[in-house]
This record gives sequence, C-alpha cells and structure tokens, in this order.
Amino acid sequence: MPDAFHAVGKATPRIDAVERVTGRARYAGDLRFPNMLYARVLRSPHPHARIRRIDMSKALALPGVKAVLTRENCQVVWSGGDTRNKRYLFNNPVRFVGDPVAAVATTDRHLAEEALKRIVVDYEVLDFILDPEEALKPGAVEIQPGGNLSPNSKGQREAESYRRGDVEKGFADSDHVFEDLYVSKHVNNAQMEPRVSIAHWEGDKLTVWASTQGISNCQADMAKDLNLLPEQVRVICEYMGGGFGNKNQNHDFDLMAAVLSKETGRPVKLEFTRKEDYIGVHGRWPTRQYYKVGVNNDGTLQAIQLRGYSGMGPYRKSSGDIAGTELYHCPNVEKTVHPVYTNMSVGANFRGPAYPQGIFGIESMMDHIAYQLKMDPVEFRLKNCTQKYHDEVPYTSIGLQDCIRRGAEIFEWKKHLHPPGADPGLIKGGVGMAMGAFGAGIGKSSATLRLDASGHLWVYVGVTDIGTGAKTTMALLAAEATGINLEKVHVVWGDTDRCPYSVGESGSRTTNMTGYAVVEAARDLQRQLKEKGAPQGNDVLIAQSTPNPRLEGAARYSFAAHFVEVQVNAEFGNVRILKYVAVHDSGRVVNPLTAASQVKGGATMGIGMALHEELLYDRATGVPINPGYYGARVMTHMDAPEIEVHFVETEDAYGPYGAKSVGEPPITPSVAAIANAVFNATGRRIKELPITREKILGVTA
Amino acid sequence: MKPISRRLFIEETGLGILSTTVLPSVTGSPVEAQVNSPAVSAPRTKITIKVNDVSHHLEVEDRWTLAETLRDHLELTGTKIGCDRGECGACTVLLNEKPIYSCSYLSVWADGQSIQTVEGLAHGDHLDPLQQAFIEHDGPQCGYCTSGQLMSARALLNHNPSPTAKEVRRALSGNICRCSNYNRYVESILAAAKRGQKHA
Repeated sequence: MPDAFHAVGKATPRIDAVERVTGRARYAGDLRFPNMLYARVLRSPHPHARIRRIDMSKALALPGVKAVLTRENCQVVWSGGDTRNKRYLFNNPVRFVGDPVAAVATTDRHLAEEALKRIVVDYEVLDFILDPEEALKPGAVEIQPGGNLSPNSKGQREAESYRRGDVEKGFADSDHVFEDLYVSKHVNNAQMEPRVSIAHWEGDKLTVWASTQGISNCQADMAKDLNLLPEQVRVICEYMGGGFGNKNQNHDFDLMAAVLSKETGRPVKLEFTRKEDYIGVHGRWPTRQYYKVGVNNDGTLQAIQLRGYSGMGPYRKSSGDIAGTELYHCPNVEKTVHPVYTNMSVGANFRGPAYPQGIFGIESMMDHIAYQLKMDPVEFRLKNCTQKYHDEVPYTSIGLQDCIRRGAEIFEWKKHLHPPGADPGLIKGGVGMAMGAFGAGIGKSSATLRLDASGHLWVYVGVTDIGTGAKTTMALLAAEATGINLEKVHVVWGDTDRCPYSVGESGSRTTNMTGYAVVEAARDLQRQLKEKGAPQGNDVLIAQSTPNPRLEGAARYSFAAHFVEVQVNAEFGNVRILKYVAVHDSGRVVNPLTAASQVKGGATMGIGMALHEELLYDRATGVPINPGYYGARVMTHMDAPEIEVHFVETEDAYGPYGAKSVGEPPITPSVAAIANAVFNATGRRIKELPITREKILGVTA
Repeated sequence: MKPISRRLFIEETGLGILSTTVLPSVTGSPVEAQVNSPAVSAPRTKITIKVNDVSHHLEVEDRWTLAETLRDHLELTGTKIGCDRGECGACTVLLNEKPIYSCSYLSVWADGQSIQTVEGLAHGDHLDPLQQAFIEHDGPQCGYCTSGQLMSARALLNHNPSPTAKEVRRALSGNICRCSNYNRYVESILAAAKRGQKHA
C-alpha cells in the first residue's frame, strides 16, 4: 500500500458502529406510527393447488380487521418477482408451499394471526414436482403455461448455453475422460432480520420503510408496479439486518403493505415470521451438474462439458446459472444450463448467486482429476487456471495465481498434503483447496457532495449498508479524494428523498460503482475549490457525479483461493476444521478491517453450506419440513473456525483507487475447499451437498 | 444522519404504554397513552418489572412475550426479534443477570424481576468495555444479532471475567450471526475481558 494514502487502506471502525452496539440503530421493524395496522400473509399449505373459493367473512367479522386482500380484490403484478411470467401478489393456482393467498391488516399483531386462521380456502390440490430433471420429463405437470423449462434471455424455450471449440474433438484427443454428477441443495439466505415493510400514504405520495439492499431499485420497482411516478414513492432504509441477495428490489410484501395502507388510509406494517422468511422469500437455487472432462496425462485440459439443471421454484427471479467452468483455461468448452420450474420455494440470488454451488461442482471434479493423474491439486490449478475470461477476454487485473501460491505457502500445503484416505486412524486428517472468483462490475451510480464553511463534508449516497461497511467505505473514499479528515465527513444514506441513485448493495458493486461516483464527485469539488476558493459564511459548494464507466474489451473480476485442514471423525461422521486460510485479490482494499470481516463471514457461511444446511422437503407432500435456524442448521459460534485472511492487492485501472469486489467472492471457493478436504481425509468423494454426518458415515463405515 | 430523530419518532408515534409507566430518560417525562384494544379479548395482568434500573408498572396481555413488551410497549427496540421461537438469540436480555431468550419468555413471568437490555449497557456516553471492543474489532456487520451477542457476553464476563476462546464460544453458542462474523465477536469479547474493566 503506497503511503500516499491517508484514509484508504487504513483499518477503520465503522462510522456507525456506536449505533450498532448500543441498540440505537433503527431497523424497519423497530418503527411504529400512530394508528398503524399490523399485516400478515396467509400462505398456501400445498405445493400446487387451484383455489376454488376463499371465504373471508369470518375474518372480516372480527372487530379490528380492517382489510383483507386476495386475488379477487387485488390484481397487482409484482414485476420483480418473475422476469418471464406474470406473477401477481396473490396467484391462482398457488405453486409452492408459502405462495401468498391473502393478506390481512388489523389493529393488533395477535389479531392478525387470529384473522389468518379464520380465512377459509377451498383448494383443488394438483400434482407437484420438486426435482428439476423430473420436471422436464414428458407428462410432468405444467407449473407455468408453456412448460417447465424457463425461457432463456431471448425468450426462447431453450437452455442457456455457451460453447467454444469442439468438445467432441476434445474428448477424442484426451488421454482420459472423467464423468460425474454433483448436486447442490436449496439453502436459505436466512438473514437475521425477518422481512418487514411499513407503508404509509400522504395524499398520493407513498413512503415505504423497507428492509432493502437497494433503496433506488426498490423505489423504481414500487412506482412501476403501482403505476406511480418515481417521485411519488419514497423509500427509507436506515439499517438493514442482512440480505445476502434476497432483497435487491421491491418485494411482494412491500406492495401488499402499500395496497393495504391505501385501502385503509392508515400506516401498515407487514411482518414475517421466521418460517415465512425461509419459504416465502427465496433461497439459493438447487442444482444438478453433469460434468464430462477430457484431460491428457500431463494434466492439460482438452474439453469441459457441463449439462446442468437449476430448480428455480415456480417463479423465475434470477439467472439459474451454474458458474465456475470459466475458472479454467481449456480449448473446448460446452455448457448447457436448464433453469427449470419446480414446486419448491423460489430459487434466486444468495451471496455469489451462481458460484458456490457451481464451484463446488467444477472444483470437486478438477480436484478428483488431479488426484487421479497423481498430480498435486495445487499444481493442477496453477497449470490450468484461467488467464483470460473464457480464454478470450483479458482481465483488467488478475491475482488468481498469486492467491494460490501465497495461500499454499502460508498454509504449508506441501507439508500437509497426503494421498487421499492415507490417514489410517478413526480421526482422519485431510487438506483441501479451491479457487474462487466473482465479478467486480463497474457502471452507473451517483454521489453528491456538500462542503460547508466549517470544512465539513456531507456525502449523499443511496446506500443502505446491509452490513458490509458501505457507509464507512464511502466516507473513507470521500476523505481520501478530498483530503478532508474522516471526522469531518458525514454520510447521508438510506432515503430516496435525500440521496441520488445508487446501484443497490447487490453484485458486490457498491464500492466499485457508488464509491467511484464519490471519487469523481470529489474531483468536481476540487475543481470548484480551485476556481471559487473555500466556501465562506453560509455558502456551500455542491459537487456531484454520475459516472458511467465501461470496460472496453476487458472483464473485471476478483479472485480467491481457500485452503483448509480438516479432521473427519470416521466413527461419528463429524468434520472439525483445524485451519482455514483465505487469500483474496480484491484489488485495492479500502478498509482492511471490514474487508477481512467480509471474508471471514463469507467463508464461514460457505462452510455451513458445505456441511450442514439444507431446506428439506417431504417428497410425499411437497412440504418443507425444517424451515428455521435450528432445523436448517446454520453455522453457530461452536461451528465457526478461525478464518485467516490475506489480501494480494493487484493494481487495477478501474474502480475507486483500483478497488474490486469483496462481499461475495469469499463464499465462492469455500464449499469446494471443504469438500476437497473431506475427500483428502477419507479417500471417498461425496458428490451431494451438504456433506452431512450420515453421508460421511456412509463412506467411512 | 438521522432522518427521524428518536425524540421526534417517539413523540409522533404516541406510546402504546399501559397504565402509569414511567419511561426511562428518553422522553424526559412520564407518558400516559391510549391502548389499542384488541378485539379478541386476551387476559391481562398487572406486573411490575425493573428494566435497566427503571421500574415499570404495566398491564400486559398474558400472551405478550417479554421481547414484545420491551419493543412495542417500552420502546426499547435495541432488543431484536430474529426468529420469535428461541432459535437465534437476537432477543437475548439478562433476567436477574442471567441471559434468556426474551421471545420465549412471557412478560407475566417477569413480574417482580430485574431485566437488563442493550440500552442499559452504556452509562451515558460511557460505553461498556464490550461495546467499545465490538466497535474496535468490528463485531457487528449488519448489527441485527449484536444486542443479543452483547448481552450473552455481558452475562459471561459478569461471572467469568477472563474466559478462554472456547468458553466464549460456548457461552454464545445460542447467538446466531448469519453474517457469520463469529471470529470478530470472539476476538472482541476476549479483548474486552483482557482490558479487565469489569462492568456492573
């Protein structure tokens, strides 16, 4: 880190840390307003059913019940809830356990619960399908009109595909061809704050206190879905209890709260239970990944073929992609991914959307091949890892090899590596590693700065800071770019009436885009200062910027390599993590304190996905049986190992001072690294997540 | 930035406080307000609880959890509800110095007892050493589980001023952090303990 920086690169506690540790930070659910009503949602108990009739009379007869919404009286379409089909707030047929059927607004929270019980719904139960491959078989029940293969980005009923070279020729030229199936499951974002929305109309202006990752997107979506002008909608999010990708836009419950509020003329707070949050929002799409890889004796890759199936639930919110094959340099690649409708809970964005599950597949596959060829898995990666995006487009910067080399050195990989299953005892030691990557996209976002005569700088940015430290990052960038001391920098955030457009805290883009806008606005401020001098008295200087930088013929990514040492207990099936080293190339690190926290958290979350977490479904009824923290087994203090974090700071010409993405990359390699370590310990490859005790005992017993 | 100040917010909302509750210093004066009467009648009980050294005489519905009473009726929203079913620990408060899940504890059970919430950790601007350490070591990411982590940690340090990392993890095993910032929390608590400033 060059010493020239006075703010960037200095480990800095969050500027809002006092609020976060004193209980003063206010989340949407903490707010109450005079005359506020409490709303709750009635959800389908069936995975697929047609609603014949809804009888609301008993609910409406309860004094204090002010409104009930169903499809009968509310035809609002939630456009962000499905990019291919019309998804109403209340759909008929209902297509998953948890699909909204009705919403009630009442004077009391407990009364709302009572009212839900008094709504009588007559369902005609239909056939259902949970498995994406089965959903494509002839005769399978149609979940959406037109079939269960969700249309591709061009609107065609075809799988999303990518090709380069000729895989058949590649396989013919290979010394060995390996084939395998890897399976990942539906895991929930499970952020700590249950989803909540408060809506309130004043005349024809709607204010929504939302738990959202993107106030600007939420505002635009609300306006679109309710036929309002954007300026008629104000979205406020002071603090947000995590999201990990499940709230990048508006949500159906924001719209329900808005409609109920309009109907009743009172503020409405719509609350979720934890169980509703698990099934009614979305989780990571489950995948089935068929790989075929051709390789020569010396480890040179000849061909990679992936045929994948992603279970999107009944509504298409996200890509359904299976990422990871692009981590490898290979002349012949064919990837075909089928995003498929099923009657499970919706599969959509969750931290590094397509990566952790895809990298679990490809990195398990490649790890296996390395061992089969008697090569060191690290050497195999160094030989074959990507140098250009899809072997074609140069990266703006790439520290992948550095991450692998540095990680192997810190971890003392050579010293720890032994042949798979070589440890004869009941407690089997093993090591594993995997590569990871995630986009570091650049693009349009805005920032406004105000400098007053006392030298205080106000930074207006539409961030919400979902826990990443975005507000502090913005302050550090503003301090750096203006030379003003951090103590004199104030960030104004989380309110669309006060802040300009921000990209939203998704895709690990806030630092790259909004941070860059802050730096550009600071340049404008510097120019003005030169021209006009410092403001005096009541004068202020206002600077702003809406840069829209583009990559010309280049791809921009962050990279990582994770190394892990485990002990697998062959008698009880549990996995202990003894050592975990995470090395990341995120370009310039703006705040080493919060960046390392992101890596620690992301890696730990990946360990949970690797070893415990799964939303289980009863195959007979299509009902999820374990929604909630306890049932779905998220990581706890007792499970979390020490994550050792290192950064290799590559020089990158884009982004604010060359900063790349931090939030999502850490979860991308961790699942695969754990799986590979379990293989090294046991000598047996478990190809279906999560790698539970039962599965381990299945191979060790 | 504070789009809505706490004072303004409280003044605007009108407190759903029952009977003659004396509020802590946030509003400066005792407040009496009307209650929304739920149509479905629920039995009510008069209780007296001490929260952060302030006594409250309340009439509560028997079905109200302690978390609900603290948040909705005493405006102590620092205590969070993450699952409302005793799984996550976001609602952890101290009841007679012992950590409990306030979402799984009825308000009527708390009659005559003493409760400490996150709002009671700091004395004015003087933060609890745990709060200070959480700031310096970046404990909270999204911050939603933080109050619960702090209260479990406070209970631990009250009876074990210099715990090992293992003891910290065990004491906080009931406090989930989905940002998974577990390393930072343990680091923070060990740092606070090391500072040796045992706090009330």
